[in-house]
Amino acid sequence: METALTSALGAAAQNITAEEFDAIVRRHQRRVHRFLLMLLRDPEEADNLTQECFLRAYQSRSSFRGESSLETWLLRIAANLAKDHGRNRKTSFWKRLLGLDGDGEEGAAQKVASGTASPEEVLLAREDVRAVWEVANQLSQQQRAVFLLRFVEEMELNEIASALGLQVGSVKTHLFRAVQNVRTKLRDLG
Amino acid sequence: MNSNENSHDPLVERALVSFDLAAEHHLAGCPPCQTARDRVEGALRQFAAANREYANRPESFWQQQALCIEAARRKSEMRSRLTATLVPAVVALLLTAFAILGRAPGVRPMATVTPTAQVDPDHELLLEVERAIQSDTPRALEPATLMVDERDTNLPLGSTSNRKEIRSHEN
Repeated sequence: METALTSALGAAAQNITAEEFDAIVRRHQRRVHRFLLMLLRDPEEADNLTQECFLRAYQSRSSFRGESSLETWLLRIAANLAKDHGRNRKTSFWKRLLGLDGDGEEGAAQKVASGTASPEEVLLAREDVRAVWEVANQLSQQQRAVFLLRFVEEMELNEIASALGLQVGSVKTHLFRAVQNVRTKLRDLG
Repeated sequence: MNSNENSHDPLVERALVSFDLAAEHHLAGCPPCQTARDRVEGALRQFAAANREYANRPESFWQQQALCIEAARRKSEMRSRLTATLVPAVVALLLTAFAILGRAPGVRPMATVTPTAQVDPDHELLLEVERAIQSDTPRALEPATLMVDERDTNLPLGSTSNRKEIRSHEN
C-alpha cells in the first residue's frame, strides 16, 4: 500500500531521513519477517535476515527508483538474502542433523484456527496444511518464493515478478506447477 | 469421470493461478471442477492463515527488532561517516608525504664525494728525486747545508780555512 512517505521515496529516496526510515521498518518488518520465515523455516535466521534486509535497504536506498512499490523492493532484497543464505549449506546441514530444521511445517499446521470447527475438521485442516507444506518443500527456493508470495502474501503476479526478477510468464508457470502438485497431493489424501 | 476430470485439470489450475475468463466460464458449468477448485482453494487458504499465525509475534518482538535495526543503521551510518572523513584525510596525508619525498632529492644538496687522491709511491719518489736534483743537494743533507750557509753568513770574509774544514767533514 502506497503512502505519502513511500511514494515520496521514489523521487528522492536518498534524501530519506533516519526517522522516516525507522517508520518504514515498523510498517514493513512483519511482512518481510514472515516471508523470510516461510522461505527459510528457521525463526532465528528469519530474524537475522530481516535485520540485514532493512540495513541493506538503508545502505542502498539511493538505488530505489520507485519503479516498484517499496514493499516489493524490500521483498526483493529479502529474497536475494534468502538465496545467498541458501547457498551457504553449512549451517543448514548442521541444523538438519540436530533436528532444528523443519519446525515450520509442524508449527504452521498446529496454528490451524479451530474457531467453531469440530475437532475432526481441525484435524483435516491440519492434514491439508501439512500436505501443502510438503509440496512447498519439494519446490526449489525460487518456486517456493513465488508460491508463498502468491498464496500467503496475496501479491499480484506482476509484483511477484518484480520482487523476484522474473517474467510474469515464469511466475505463472511456477504457480501452475505448484498448484498442480497441491491438487495431486490433496487428491491422494482423499 | 476420471478422464473427464483429467482433461479439465489445467482449467482448475489456471483458475487458481490468476483470473482466467475461459477457465471461470468452464468452472461455472462443471461441478467436479468446481469441487476440485474449492478443495485446493480451501487448503491454500488454510495454509496461508496457519502460516500468518505461525509468523505472528508479540508486539515486544517487533519493537525489539525495530530497535536492533535502528542500532545497526546508526552503526553503519557512523562507519560510513567515519570512512567519508578518514579516506580524504588519509589520501591528503599520502599525497603530502609523496610530495615531500618527491621534492626531497632536489632540495637536498648533492652529497659531495671528495675524490681520494690516489698516492702513487713511485710518482712521489720520482718527484723527490727531481726536487733534489734541482736543489743540488740531497734531501738528507739539507739540514747540514743550511747550517753551513748560516755559518758562512756569520763568519768574516777571510776565514776560508774553517770553510775548508767543514767541507772536508762533509765529504
